[in-house]
Order: sequence, then structure tokens, then C-alpha cells
Amino acid sequence: MKTTLKLGLAMAVTMGLSGAALAQTKEIRVLLANHPYGEVLKAAIPQFEQQSGIKVNVESLQESQLTTKLTTEFATNSSSVDVFMTRPLQDGKLFAKNKWYEPLGGYDFSDYPANTVSIVTYDGQPNIVPLVTEWQVLFYRKDLLEAAGLKVPTNFDELTAAAEKLNTGGLAGFASRGKGAAAVTQLSTFVYNFGGNYLDKGVAVFDSKEAVDGIRYYGKLVGSYGPRGVTSMSWENILPLFQAGRIAMWTDASVFYGQLTDPAKSSLGADKIGIANVPAGPKANSPFYVTSWGIAMASQSKKKDLAKTFLEWATSKELAAKAMEANITMARTSVWEDKAVTAKVDPGLVETRAFVAKNGNPSDRPFMSAVGEARDLIGEIIIESINTKGESPQIDQMAKDRAVKVNTLLRDTGEYGQ
Amino acid sequence: MKAVGLRILFYLAVVLLALIVLLPFLWMLISSLKTQIDIVAWPPKFIFSPTLQNYYKVFGEQDFIRYFINSTIVAVFAVGVSLLLGLPAAYSIARFSQRRLAMVILLARLMPGISFLMPWYIIFSRLGLMDSYVALVLSHVLITLPIVVWIMSSYFETIPLELEESAMVDGASRHYIFLKIILPLSGPGIITATTLSFIFSWNNFLFSQVLSMEKTRTLPIAVFNFLSYADIDWGGVMAASVAIMAPALVLTMIFQRYVVSGLTMGAVKG
Repeated sequence: MKTTLKLGLAMAVTMGLSGAALAQTKEIRVLLANHPYGEVLKAAIPQFEQQSGIKVNVESLQESQLTTKLTTEFATNSSSVDVFMTRPLQDGKLFAKNKWYEPLGGYDFSDYPANTVSIVTYDGQPNIVPLVTEWQVLFYRKDLLEAAGLKVPTNFDELTAAAEKLNTGGLAGFASRGKGAAAVTQLSTFVYNFGGNYLDKGVAVFDSKEAVDGIRYYGKLVGSYGPRGVTSMSWENILPLFQAGRIAMWTDASVFYGQLTDPAKSSLGADKIGIANVPAGPKANSPFYVTSWGIAMASQSKKKDLAKTFLEWATSKELAAKAMEANITMARTSVWEDKAVTAKVDPGLVETRAFVAKNGNPSDRPFMSAVGEARDLIGEIIIESINTKGESPQIDQMAKDRAVKVNTLLRDTGEYGQ
Repeated sequence: MKAVGLRILFYLAVVLLALIVLLPFLWMLISSLKTQIDIVAWPPKFIFSPTLQNYYKVFGEQDFIRYFINSTIVAVFAVGVSLLLGLPAAYSIARFSQRRLAMVILLARLMPGISFLMPWYIIFSRLGLMDSYVALVLSHVLITLPIVVWIMSSYFETIPLELEESAMVDGASRHYIFLKIILPLSGPGIITATTLSFIFSWNNFLFSQVLSMEKTRTLPIAVFNFLSYADIDWGGVMAASVAIMAPALVLTMIFQRYVVSGLTMGAVKG
């Protein structure tokens, strides 16, 4: 027994020493998400290492694992992460409040749309470099709409009529996420287009008449014409249904377009897939246009100079242009203005992006620290609305009740009214 | 006539129950041999041209051999340490009725694992033990040790005290009795404890997620390599799951006989 203990201690000491020795070389630790842009970076990192002489230890994680890991490392104040990919809307507020991001005062943000920068700015300084944006669109089956003699819907009345006409036995006329919290982002455009919002200046306002109208309409549409069991469906359930030809129209984030047209993933054929702006609502026409991923430096990093060098390279225009070729919809403005680049991007993405860049709303969820809890609360209203096709008399009361609860969450973190 | 009818009914019930349990596994196995298009096809395809591309992704494109080795190292050492510490502890609990000690050990198992993560992370990172097998093994011992102690203490209680007493009359010491009499008699119990704790360590996600890094990544974490942002490679996930399940399944099949007897051994003690 004693020998084991000694052995264990000896091992611990040796490994501790080797850890300390490593810290002196030019080396940084980078956490990436399992994301196409992460793949682009990983492929290019050897080149960066050669040019800069900095060794990059990369680790790539699925997004929720990434958040868990970063949170644990930062909260215990013993992180060795220097640069990491991050979700500005999901993690941003919490991370910024805890000062886990290093403010990026010296970085040149002139090539980024103003609303993508404003949402990552805290205490007057941007904390995250936006990488990838996405926006809500309407995916539709060209062949089915044509066969039914329908035009692509441009407002909610046309959308309802088209969904009703297309909805037959094995085919769902319209689908969108129905699984509570996951549906909150896809509902957002509907709420905006009815003139509502989730939060206004740090106060929950989704119990307003406009917002509730949006929630009811979403419930009516998804509940009446959606696939069976839609209240337990997020994108990972709806995407394969659409790929299998069982859904005629689907609103979700633009990021899925590539998988619908990829012959290795869908047998429908790219010529049958259409992409359009989300139809306009009675009050507005403002789909979400969000920065889904960004990259940041850790405030706990001990090698900020090296980290900054890496960050500048990882967000360079050259890499952004390269990523665009793989249909990754980058945040930088200049790559969308460069004809040579956009020529290689799917025209459907270029067109819908041009619309949202002007009219988009930079948030698709209640933007707050306790975003997860708030999404759960709003998700309950969505499920009630879908289950009753938007008819339930309780929806107004539920919205009021959940708004009070979200306000409590906001007060708990000191964000109420800010 | 009535007996035949009953028998048919019995077998129907058996088939039905087996199907309920086996269908998800069957589905996983079939899907692991399909292309992404065939996986999402509706109605589901039962006749398709099988492909090994998913397995190629698991073992060729992804470094699953390394994750396999990592998982094996962690599980083997965690179980080894647990047996080394747990067997004497279980013996002591069984023979000296140290119920309170047993409860404390069980408590460690009942506490939500996440509450250990932060302290561990601090300790291991200060010691420079991040991304080391030592950290992972030690954390997995928390899972495996209570299993060993609880199975073995009730197992030891079933071994007649008279055996020890007669050995003592002959002048044997406690250590001698434990090593030469009790342990050789405990084969089935030890196999049960080993198998179960091995499987629990093999499947552990939470601890490995935070305490492992690229070098020491274990299998349950590696499955997530097939989950990208807004994109799930179902075929890859299925093939990886089959690969992960295989060792645990083989282990269980070989030792199943002992596992069942080992578990019931403790259950019927007087």
C-alpha cells in the first residue's frame, strides 16, 4: 500500500514539474468548438505555427461541453486557456459579467456590422470578435409549391394559406421548432414581426399584446400544420424530416441550407430546395440576424501577447474569405462585398443576408445571464400555444406569470432595467 | 391443447419483451451501416446496401484507437485501485460491522458528481495534473470504489465465520486469513464488482468531460466529435456507439453468470 502511495506522489510531482517546464516555451492553449470554422482553423494552424513560431495546443469540443469546460476552468480561477470560441448570445452576458473575457480595446472592428459589435460590447469595450453570423430564413420545397400553384409566401396570411394547402396526410405543411427552450430562438422573428420583443431595456416584455399575438400565431401555425410530436422537436428532428421530404416549408437558421442541398445528406436534390426571407408580419419585417459564434481571449491568460497574435490571425480576412467558400456565413462585411468571394457562395444565402443585414434584429433570445432559465420559462408558453393551436385562454396569463419570473431572474443578476 | 396455447403465449411474450429491449440496439447496429441519406429515409429502409464508411470515420478519420486505449487505461487502473483499497475495507466493514463507514462511502456515491468537479479541477490544475491519467483515474475511483465496497462487504458476510475461527485456532493472523482464505473464496463476488465498476468507469461522462483534454480524451467524450454545430453525423455516432458498447457487452456476456450470483449472494444473507 505504501509503495502505491509513494508511486502516486512521485508521479504527481514529476508531472507537476514537466507542466512548469512547458510554460516557458512559446505555446498557447486554444479551445475550439466542433464547428465548420473550427475545422478551417485547425487545418490552417500548422501554417500559423510555422510563421509565428508559436505552438498551438488545440482542443475541439461540442458546444455544450465547451461551455461546461470553460465555466469550470474560469470559475475555479485556474484556467490555462488563452483563446477560445464562444457564443456571444448564449455565454456572452455571463462570461462578461464575470470578467472572463479580455477586453479587446486595440482590435480593429471597422469591418464588422455595427449591431454585431454592439452586442459584444461591455463597459464600452468589445469583448469578442464576431466570427459567424446566421439569420432566420424560410426553407421551402420548390416542386411542392409549384405543384400546388402557390407563390413563395411574403406575409403571414400567405404563409398560413400555403401551409394549409400543402398540409396533406404524410406531408407537414409547415414546421418550426416546437421543443420549448429550443424553439425560443425560432419564435423570436415571429414575435418581432408582430411588433413584440422578449426584453426591452432589461425588462421582460413578452407579455405585451404584440408578443402574445406572435406566440399565438406561431402556435397556430406549428400546431395545425406541423409534423406529429412537434413539441418535442428541435432542429435535429426537423432537419431529417425535411431531408426525407416530409415537410414542405420550414423556418430556421440559415446555417442548415448547406445540409439541405448537399447530395451526400439529402436525396431530394438541390433544385427542389428554395430559400427565402421569413414572411413579413403585420407590424414588422425583421428576422433575427445574430452572431452565433465569436472568438475571444481569456482574461486569465498568462500569455496575452501570444494569444493576441493568434486571435488576429484567426479572425483575418483571408481566413474569412476561405471559410465563405465552404458556405460558412462570416461576420466580416468586406467578404460579402467582395464579388470574387460571393461568387463562390450560394446565391440564396447572399440574397437573404443582404436583406437581414439591413433589417435584421441582432438577438434571437432574451439576452441576459440566465438565458437558459429564461428560455425554459418562455418555452412553456410555446408548448401550451402549440398544443392548443394558439387558442388556449391561458396563454396571456402564462405570459404574464413567466415575464414576472424572468424579471426576477434579471433582478437576481443585477441586470433588471439595464 | 391448453398447454400448447399457453406455451405459444409464453414465447410470444418473451419475443415481445426481447424486442422492446433489443430494438434500439438493433436500430443502432443497422444505422451504423447506413449512409446519412438512408438513415433519414422515410419510410425506414430495411433493405439497403450496407457501407463501412461510418466505421472508417470512427477508426480512420477520428483517432478512436487512442480514445479506446485511454478509456481502457483509466478503467483498468480505477478498478485496480478500487479493488486494492476496497477489498480490505469491505472485509473490515463486514467483519466489524462498521455500518457508519459503509454509509459514508455510499454517501460519496450518492452526492451529485458535479459537486466534486470544481474542487477537483482546482486541485488537479494546481498540481499540474490536468490532462494526465492520474487525475482521471483518481476521479473514477470515486465511482468504482463504492461499488466494490458495497458488493464485497455483503459478499464477505455470506462467508461462514466458522472458517475464520478455525483458522485462528490454528494460529493464522487476520491478514493471512484475508489473503489465503477469504479472497480465494470470493471469486464470483470479485468478478461481479470488477465487471460492474469497470462498466461504470467505461461509461462515465461527467468527470472525463472536464478533467480530460485532447491527450486523455475518453470514448464517451469522443462520441461528441460527431456532433458539430447544427450538424449531427448520425452514422458516425451510431458506429462509435457500437464500438464503445462492444467491450462492455463482451465483458458482461463472459461474466454474466457470476454477476447474477454475486448480486444475489448479498441479497439473501440471513
